[in-house]
Amino acid sequence: MNPVAVIGTGQTRHARARDDASQPELVREAAARALDDAGIRPRDIDAVVIANMELFEGRAWPELWVGEAAFAAGKPCLKVATGGTSGTSGCIAGFHQVASGLFDIVLVVGFEKHSEGHTQTGMTLTDPYWDRAVASGAVGNFALSVSQYMAERGVTELQAAQVAVKARRNATRNPHAHLQMPAITVEEVLASRPLAHPLRLLDMCPQSDGACAIVVASGDKARKLNPRPAWVKATATRHEQPYIGDIDRRLITMRTLRDAAREAYASAGIREPLKELDVAEIYEPVSYAELAWYEALGFCAEGEAGRLIEDGVTEMDGELPVNPSGGVLSTNPVGASGVIRVAEAALQIHGRGGDRQVEGARTALATGYGVYAWADVIVLADRP
Amino acid sequence: MSEPILVPIEMDQSWRYAATAAMARFCEGLKECRIEALRCEGCGRRYLPPRPVCGNCHLLLRDWVPVRDEGRLAAWTVVHVPILDARSGRTREAPYGMGLIRLDGADTTLNHYVAEHDPSRLAIGLRVRAVWRERLEGAIDDILHFEVLR
Repeated sequence: MNPVAVIGTGQTRHARARDDASQPELVREAAARALDDAGIRPRDIDAVVIANMELFEGRAWPELWVGEAAFAAGKPCLKVATGGTSGTSGCIAGFHQVASGLFDIVLVVGFEKHSEGHTQTGMTLTDPYWDRAVASGAVGNFALSVSQYMAERGVTELQAAQVAVKARRNATRNPHAHLQMPAITVEEVLASRPLAHPLRLLDMCPQSDGACAIVVASGDKARKLNPRPAWVKATATRHEQPYIGDIDRRLITMRTLRDAAREAYASAGIREPLKELDVAEIYEPVSYAELAWYEALGFCAEGEAGRLIEDGVTEMDGELPVNPSGGVLSTNPVGASGVIRVAEAALQIHGRGGDRQVEGARTALATGYGVYAWADVIVLADRP
Repeated sequence: MSEPILVPIEMDQSWRYAATAAMARFCEGLKECRIEALRCEGCGRRYLPPRPVCGNCHLLLRDWVPVRDEGRLAAWTVVHVPILDARSGRTREAPYGMGLIRLDGADTTLNHYVAEHDPSRLAIGLRVRAVWRERLEGAIDDILHFEVLR
């Protein structure tokens, strides 16, 4: 396969409701910034990938209706719609298109405008025979799995609250982040409104309006256009069986993320992820998930995730800063969220992270998480 | 900043879905308070809902096994912010209990309501039993909820 790198990123201001911009305008805002960052013009783009969950907005064919704003008119364009993994899988699709030699420059754009639609309605459209009568939604489903994770691994509500606080404190250094809560405390998290036991409002991600784009380039073009390209070292994807009841002890086993991480680390030559990774941008829709992902991603042994957050290992000044951007817990336009993980990981390699830059970051991890358990793992580095 | 324009759309739609033979047999069984799972001859896993093929072994499933309407809580929560019922657009009155229930005779779990919403009275491993509605229609909500056996 040909070498592939991320050479530019762009994202919108993310907010609860971006009434100042239509869906295409939101996409154009992110896409134009990514082109500027990469130093290319629209005509340099060979192909476009769009990531969006159209059922959430209730508007069919996003690739038709926002494609032009992503400079896709007259070009190859495809759409990825796999829930939370839409963005990371869209990026992986773009990487594959360039790695294969099919195209030299691909633009990947993810977006969601939750404020315009009915996300919950979209999420209930599952198997009509089995789940619809008894659907518990994203919050309820996570709460069920969290009850098992807490019972088996002994994590506490306080440790989860520490994750929630870390995310929102990091978000204050990210001008794009939706939630800005500089004074947040664990007490405030623990006192926030219960959603589904033991999950509280501040344990959960928000719903955001926003878009994010990356420019993917082949080796020669990447070297020419960016002094520090973020090279794609590895990608791995795993899907699962269809029902939540199929996935026994979901957060505990998390075989999709575990297997994808193992595959990605092997192809990137990573043996000790906590030591060898410099920064991670992981898809944590709920505080407890971040703790479970620490274990699945091999940052610590099983049962050690609570200690990792207590000891500050994943704070900005820790051994492995996790989600300097503030993560999904601070910003979640679903179709864009995976692209944001990849863009933020790439920014760290580019050395363009501003106030959220991890000094000297050379190897970065980005992950996606979708529906009940789909997983994407991507490793970026400063050398091909 | 432009004002959002509200598009007044109300939809009243019907859908019709073709069930697999496996799901059709399962739904017919529910009309008689009968629950059946399909067992994989490769890995031995007993699947609810029944489906044509085992996702792990890729073998066709045809070995029907009986499942009791009792089992154990494999996971639980108490929901305070209900999700919409996708069929009616209404929400259930909160708070209410939900669980992943491993019915005796099945290896997968069933996501369903639990008639208990006091977290101090819920725990993994509790025995639960289905409470069936009076007029059975061959759908998963023929089971109204599960009651905790104490």
